[in-house]
Amino acid sequence: MNKALGLYALLLLSPITFAQTIQTKFEGVIDASYDSGSDSVSWLDKGWGTTRFGINDNNLSISRAAFTGRIDFTNSLSFFGVAQYVPEPKATIGFTEAYLQYQPIAKGYQVSAKVGAFYPKMSLENTGFAWSSPYTYNYSALNAWLGEEVRAIGTELTIKRPARRFRSKYDVSFHTAIFKGNDPAGTLIAWRGLVSHDRQTSLNERIGFAPLYSLQKPQLSKQWQYSDPFHEVDGRFGFYAGVHLEYLKKHSMRIYWYDNNGDPAAINTTIGQYAWDTKFLSIAWKSKFTKQTHFLAQAMSGSTAMGPSLGVNNDFHSWFLLLSHKWQDYRFSARYEQSKVIDKDHWAFDPNASDNQALTLHASRAFSERWRAGVEWLYSDSWLSYRYKSGLPYDVKDKVWRATISYQF
Amino acid sequence: MRFGKLNLFAFLVFFFALNSQAIEIIIKDQDGNLLSDAAVWLEGEKYKPETGLSPDMFSMGQKDRTFTPHILIIPQGAKVEFPNFDSILHHVYSFSKPRPFELKLYRDTPKSEVAFENEGVVELGCNIHDWMLGYIIVVNSSHYAVTNSQGLANIDVDSDQLGFVTLNVWHERFEKLEQSEQLTIELKTSSQKLTYNVKQVLMESFYFEADEMDGYE
Repeated sequence: MNKALGLYALLLLSPITFAQTIQTKFEGVIDASYDSGSDSVSWLDKGWGTTRFGINDNNLSISRAAFTGRIDFTNSLSFFGVAQYVPEPKATIGFTEAYLQYQPIAKGYQVSAKVGAFYPKMSLENTGFAWSSPYTYNYSALNAWLGEEVRAIGTELTIKRPARRFRSKYDVSFHTAIFKGNDPAGTLIAWRGLVSHDRQTSLNERIGFAPLYSLQKPQLSKQWQYSDPFHEVDGRFGFYAGVHLEYLKKHSMRIYWYDNNGDPAAINTTIGQYAWDTKFLSIAWKSKFTKQTHFLAQAMSGSTAMGPSLGVNNDFHSWFLLLSHKWQDYRFSARYEQSKVIDKDHWAFDPNASDNQALTLHASRAFSERWRAGVEWLYSDSWLSYRYKSGLPYDVKDKVWRATISYQF
Repeated sequence: MRFGKLNLFAFLVFFFALNSQAIEIIIKDQDGNLLSDAAVWLEGEKYKPETGLSPDMFSMGQKDRTFTPHILIIPQGAKVEFPNFDSILHHVYSFSKPRPFELKLYRDTPKSEVAFENEGVVELGCNIHDWMLGYIIVVNSSHYAVTNSQGLANIDVDSDQLGFVTLNVWHERFEKLEQSEQLTIELKTSSQKLTYNVKQVLMESFYFEADEMDGYE
């Protein structure tokens, strides 16, 4: 009898049976923050502010709650979902990513595929839980923009040559995706500029911006005062292609070319959104000087245009340098960044040029596997040409600080 | 009762410390450098693995995105469990001839066991963290060890097991991972000391600096 039971138990635990069982895993992080906020109204509330939290927001809030779930249908096929709660401009919860991934084990080259809504993995900064940054609370402006206006709703194919499997020092992988539904990406580059924050947009969310003078002009009367970034407007496919290179996991580089292939003449008048022809190159670098001290840099350069005659036509460049050091349970990070939007079009009533700089200083401490607390200071100095037409000075300087307690479960 | 068991254990440790004899094998590379993490085992008629109804259970854990131990040597027929000490998921697999398998391992889920009936080298990988690498060396022997940082392996041998045996040595830097180096030796005492220099040029060793900042998964 015992033997029979033992045999049954062995069968239950055998790999074959194991593989057929659907397994699930759910995790979450809740961030409670005090944010000093700026004395302007945030763009999220359709104001002129350049920081995520403005004068309309409570200083104390659950600044973010993120939940991830994975369902393993088989050993090779899994579903990933990431949902996030944000308190402002009104409390909402939505999915930021949701996709199926097929990743079978492989002897040599690793081939995997994704279908759904997901981030291109071009950031070496946003490697934390639910695409957050493990280095700072606010992401660099270029990655913050990825978080709010860039998502692929489509399919990605990855081919990787893993270093270990080939007894090599170099990991190499190629990532290509075709997608739809990312046509309005670029709206905020033109009409707000690139600023540092940590506000990821969920898939069904609209992001407001300031009541610009130019939107009251007939040429832009069909554009409404928000970006609805994950909508399909022109019916065309976009694509991105990237390569990751790693040397002994000590030095990493990611190079991506993104092109949403938007038709600038296309407009969806029921949601007041144009398709923007947005394309850019992103190069990210990470070096581990020591186990404790990491250096990150990323640069992005591209262009974005909308309107049948390319009435809005801008180039943009953004880069940052970040140094982070871990000492015992503490982490210290410092980041300097610059972002520039260059207005190339002839619509003088719609200035888009901006020139922003920011410095971010961060210190945090892990108290346990679950609890972490930290403070962060963000200084931003922005020159925003679109403000002038509304009678506001070009320059905005903001100093905001945030204290956060995080609980992970 | 608990106290009694502990006493018995202490006694046994003391007893074996006094009575057991170990041969000391030092493994070096061609240049004479001490070689740690080399698998060493003795093969011969008197060194067959025990076959019983309850095979020995060994453990190959995953902690901080590494296999622990990195090299596990087990007798043929033994079982290995794969506890995951990380909060993240691991997807452990082997394509190696002696025992191909794959296991998705969540923390706190029932430990998965795999029995290893065939001798040989089983290379372990993780489908999620592809820098993770571990080896299970399944040997046709009851007497085996892995060299420590001083290149030293102690193998307990009884006096009635002395005589000619085949010494097997394996290292992950061998070019052909499925082959061990072999040498017939004569054990004259059960506290014999010997040094073995591997015959082949070793492949370069790599250290991957992966950490939690590389990605959440």
